[in-house]
Amino acid sequence: MRLKVNGQPVEAQEGSLLLDVVDVPTLCHHPHTETQGLCRLCLVEVDGRLLPACATPAREGMEVWTDTDALRTLRKTLLEWLALTTDLSLAPELQDLLASYGADPGRWGALTVRKGSAPIRDNPFFLRDYAKCVNCRRCVDACGDGIMGVYALTLENRGLLAHPTTPLDRPLPETPCVFCGNCVQVCPTGALRPLGLEV
Amino acid sequence: MDKPSLLPLLDARLPLTEEGIAEAARLAGVPLAQAWGVVRYYPRYRGLPQGRLLVDDPVARARGFARLLEGADGTHPPLGLEALSPIHVRIEGRERYVEYQGHRVPFREFRLPFHLGHGERLLPPEPILDLAAYERIGGLQALRSLLGGRLSPHDLIQAVEEAGLLGRGGAAFPTHIKMRAVAQGEAPKYLVVNADESEPGNFKDRFLLEHHPFLVLEGALLAALATGASRIFLYVREEFEAAMLGLEKAVAELKEAGLLPVPTEVFRSGGLYICGEETALLESMEGKRAEPRLKPPFPVEKGLWGRPTLVQNVETLASLPVILKEGPRAWRQREPKLFSISGDVARPGLYELPLGTPLGEALRRAGAELGEIQAVLLGGAAGVFTKDLAFPLRYRERLPLGAGAMVAFGKEVDLWEVLLGLAQFFREESCGKCFPCPLGTAVQVEMVRRRERSKALLQDLAQTLKGSLCGLGQSAYWAYASLLEVEGAA
Repeated sequence: MRLKVNGQPVEAQEGSLLLDVVDVPTLCHHPHTETQGLCRLCLVEVDGRLLPACATPAREGMEVWTDTDALRTLRKTLLEWLALTTDLSLAPELQDLLASYGADPGRWGALTVRKGSAPIRDNPFFLRDYAKCVNCRRCVDACGDGIMGVYALTLENRGLLAHPTTPLDRPLPETPCVFCGNCVQVCPTGALRPLGLEV
Repeated sequence: MDKPSLLPLLDARLPLTEEGIAEAARLAGVPLAQAWGVVRYYPRYRGLPQGRLLVDDPVARARGFARLLEGADGTHPPLGLEALSPIHVRIEGRERYVEYQGHRVPFREFRLPFHLGHGERLLPPEPILDLAAYERIGGLQALRSLLGGRLSPHDLIQAVEEAGLLGRGGAAFPTHIKMRAVAQGEAPKYLVVNADESEPGNFKDRFLLEHHPFLVLEGALLAALATGASRIFLYVREEFEAAMLGLEKAVAELKEAGLLPVPTEVFRSGGLYICGEETALLESMEGKRAEPRLKPPFPVEKGLWGRPTLVQNVETLASLPVILKEGPRAWRQREPKLFSISGDVARPGLYELPLGTPLGEALRRAGAELGEIQAVLLGGAAGVFTKDLAFPLRYRERLPLGAGAMVAFGKEVDLWEVLLGLAQFFREESCGKCFPCPLGTAVQVEMVRRRERSKALLQDLAQTLKGSLCGLGQSAYWAYASLLEVEGAA
């Protein structure tokens, strides 16, 4: 199948996602957890509409734009807002993106919503540090429908205050958690990290 | 659709205990994690604010908000009471009252005063609260034609197409396209009446539900029969307790009279603005957090429990019997639309006007002194400020009509205070599923608070919010951008 990406012809296999065909940043998408479409960093423009490349199948004859001024603005601004609200110190890939997009979080003023919450240490294996959590839901999906199907994680609250939690807010050892480590593996920002790496 | 839905199971166990939540999860067949996510999402499970609460709508924001707040223990989101605003509600435990004319009226008894309604085709001459009264004003003719074989499902959808009916919930999508898509889908199929009116400034659906329930039900039954839907769910905003009771009574009467060809039930909404977004609505019916789904697939393909589902607004469905009674061509020549008018006008209320009526004329009908109007908020929070009084109130014009709200503001009103209310509303109502919306609506509150007028910054805010997953985030900056335009035009 043939598409046009930024005006250039591109070959793609049947069944590919646009994400397989174009070069755009991603954050929430993970093939194993089946998380998709949330962070909006991979948005591309097709027929004047913004579509998440991670959740859009490639189609014959599609004309895709990945790097318009509008999309660059959107990615830069989103990264700035993440840096403004969230501790990204253990997310080197996001830091690189911030630099490459010339991000300047300070231009929005102060907004320290997520930063500042203390890490939760309730088990011998890993800690949950939601000051570093961008709420991408990979961990929740990994624990639930995506990989494990044990459902030891869910979401608390709404809006910018939403973040992962356990059923009834119990310490992890009192939940169905089997300490498989999948949630830690898929966390993109170091919000879940093995205690073995803590000094 | 075999398992019971989680929300009614939780409702039956209020006030919630850990055991109650676990039991509801078991009966619904969902993991405790899902039930806990739900409990920590919806206000009535998290715990409602208590005491005397000022209804924080755009009218209250325009009438000395800080002073009004002094007499209150907190605020409550808009309730479709803008025509009576500023107004307080009182919540004691789970009992809720409207403070109206010196009385505490329980939510289950409070209806918008009937005299607020002005219209002839969509609005009745008197409240129509029983079947006999509805038939006296010519009701049920279309339903009887359809049941008697004098009108085919195909002809019904054809009439809706000829009428050119656009969805009245705000998105203005052609109704016949959705109906036809569901009609062509495989059974089982469902009809969901979106009666979760929560857009600030709008109270048209609330009024229809409270005073003309049979019109809404006839429209819903027509749509269900035309599309082959085997069940009808009335998803009603949970604060509209009187409307829910009225609908349940009306459904029972129709059933008793043998005029309920499709099983119909009331579903109590999740009680959040986002629940009106059609896919978030379906998620809440399925016992999940009301978070919008990625589209496609659209509800007409995969809706409730994965089945083809027609989700239609109350006023849209109420228009069906009127279209069939008048004939699509006659209807179209003077297309009736309900407009909720509030703010600085002498007679705030609900006005049925033909589409195309100039904004200024609509306001004049409500008793506005046009020379005294500084600007009008058109549509609601997902709306725009304008001072173009010649603007024709039609769909697909320069400005979005939304669901038809108009809040008028006099010369003395601080529009930035009104805007701050809208910005805070969006921040509170953002579900938090995608990234741009919860971040951008929080940033926007700070920008509005400091009265940020930088065009560059606003453009970047707008560009980023446009990338949100659903309409809530995508429209959250409209009012802000329009206020800067209105200021520039001053």
